Amino acid sequence: MALWLDYLRRAPLVVFLLLYTVITGGPFLWVAAMALRTTPEILDNPYALPIPPHWDKFVEAWTTSRYEIYFFNSLIVVAGAVVLVTLIGAMAAHCLSRYRFRGNRLARMIILSGMILPPQLMILSLFQILLQFGLYNTLAGLTLAYVATQLAMTVYILEGFFAQLPQDLFDAARMDGYSDFEIFWRITLPIGLPAVFTTVVLNFIILWNEFLYAIVLITEDDKRTLPLGIMHFMGSHQLDVGMIATGLMISMSPIIVLYALFSETLIKGMTAGAVR
Amino acid sequence: MVPASGEGSRGASRAAIAAFLVPALVIYAGFTFYPVLRTFYNSVHLFKGRNVEEFVGARNFLDILTQDPVFWKAVGNTATFTIVGTVADVLGGLLLALCLFTGTSLSRAMRVIWFTPVLMSYVVVGIIWVWLYDYDWGLINVLLRWIGLGTFEQSWLGDPHTALWAVLVTHLWKWLGFNMIVCLAALHALPGEVLGAAELDNCGWLAKLVYIIIPMLWPTLINLLVLSFIGKMMLFDLVWIMTGGGPLWSTETVSTYVYKRAFDWNTFDLGYPSAIAVLWSAMIVLFVALMTRLLRSRDRLEF
Repeated sequence: MALWLDYLRRAPLVVFLLLYTVITGGPFLWVAAMALRTTPEILDNPYALPIPPHWDKFVEAWTTSRYEIYFFNSLIVVAGAVVLVTLIGAMAAHCLSRYRFRGNRLARMIILSGMILPPQLMILSLFQILLQFGLYNTLAGLTLAYVATQLAMTVYILEGFFAQLPQDLFDAARMDGYSDFEIFWRITLPIGLPAVFTTVVLNFIILWNEFLYAIVLITEDDKRTLPLGIMHFMGSHQLDVGMIATGLMISMSPIIVLYALFSETLIKGMTAGAVR
Repeated sequence: MVPASGEGSRGASRAAIAAFLVPALVIYAGFTFYPVLRTFYNSVHLFKGRNVEEFVGARNFLDILTQDPVFWKAVGNTATFTIVGTVADVLGGLLLALCLFTGTSLSRAMRVIWFTPVLMSYVVVGIIWVWLYDYDWGLINVLLRWIGLGTFEQSWLGDPHTALWAVLVTHLWKWLGFNMIVCLAALHALPGEVLGAAELDNCGWLAKLVYIIIPMLWPTLINLLVLSFIGKMMLFDLVWIMTGGGPLWSTETVSTYVYKRAFDWNTFDLGYPSAIAVLWSAMIVLFVALMTRLLRSRDRLEF
């Protein structure tokens, strides 16, 4: 068959592919453009390039629109939760994958059951419990709730990976007189680093975007995380489209950086549970 | 101590095992297991102010089922959203994957872009789409006017007839990339000669899809159906951000209703919404069990 005919047959497909690419990517470019334009400019014509770009809007968002507070609240909660869940999850995963003991299967079943429980079944009473212990409306309370929501998935991913590490490594380490904790800290963690890294990035993104737990457990403005902060700002400044767009860009920026650097890891990690 | 038999150092002291497992189990007990128990406890109680609870037995459940029209409205919306959304999600993801599978040189870059919405928060996605649906300057109405179909312009999120569908389109836009990637991975795992043989038999693409690709990808598709189903049955974030359940309860889902009853109604009664949560979680578990049973029992193509 002539080459040009082949191209002609594939043209509709290529057009469709490009169209869908525009549909998925376009809205983000639109927001990026609006983030650099003032609200009067946007209301005049929402679909124009940011000429001249107003970079100072980011300074304004950061200082006068309180995004600095929201950003750091998010950072504290998410970083804290990710560190904790990685450590606690890795310890549990190491134990479950490496040692034979009575109750291993039971412990694994209990911890992994967290993956299938709907959050609605916990969230209302979690509110009550945190209130009781003075953790309601605190970043610490939200952090602990986040550790609990991500624990099952973290253990699941890490355990699968740790179980494949060759047993000889551990036998050799024991011969050398390593204690159980040293084996975990100096063998399992360093060698399991790729899997640990995947869970860290995944948990970071999931928690950075989290909304349901945050809206139930935080109501004070000074404690709001970024998603709540933007919603709050939108509620009180409905028409300030330009500043909301700048806020959206601020909230997306860490994810854009992570995705740009580790797109393949992220795509694999996010979909690992469903591929069969 | 030298380990017995050839299985190596699979043993450890009780103290070490406890030290490794206790933190995880404590977190689980305090922030997962105890809250679940407490939700069950709440669901059979009526809260009369702080720390005053009255045992009411099954009354909350009876009230929900027999005299709560808003609950049934929410169930209807959630069911519509779930059924249409789940099918569209998985089928759409499969078709997109097939488009990319045929392979243009741009496929790799494209799948990275198509996956982007999956990683963005519901707040970001929701606000962007609220703007796209805006009556005056939203892209959808602007495009309609531009191609001369101005009569079809709508207040997409403001009209009770279109609001639920508008939210559904946004939800699909966010999640199609996820289903696409999973299907794509499954397609790449298929033995090439099967698709090649179909090519030789000269069967049409629809026949190829129905008789070869779907049966061969069935285990993956079941997974996607179940995941998509669970996600949509619990839909909260996107609705809360885009419409708050309105207008006129047209986008109220079970989850947004639970939230409203618990925190927006100022009754401080956690019992009634807890009962809804228990009821709805039971429904989800029941349907997931049913789905996996029914779908798995179908004859599978071995390869």
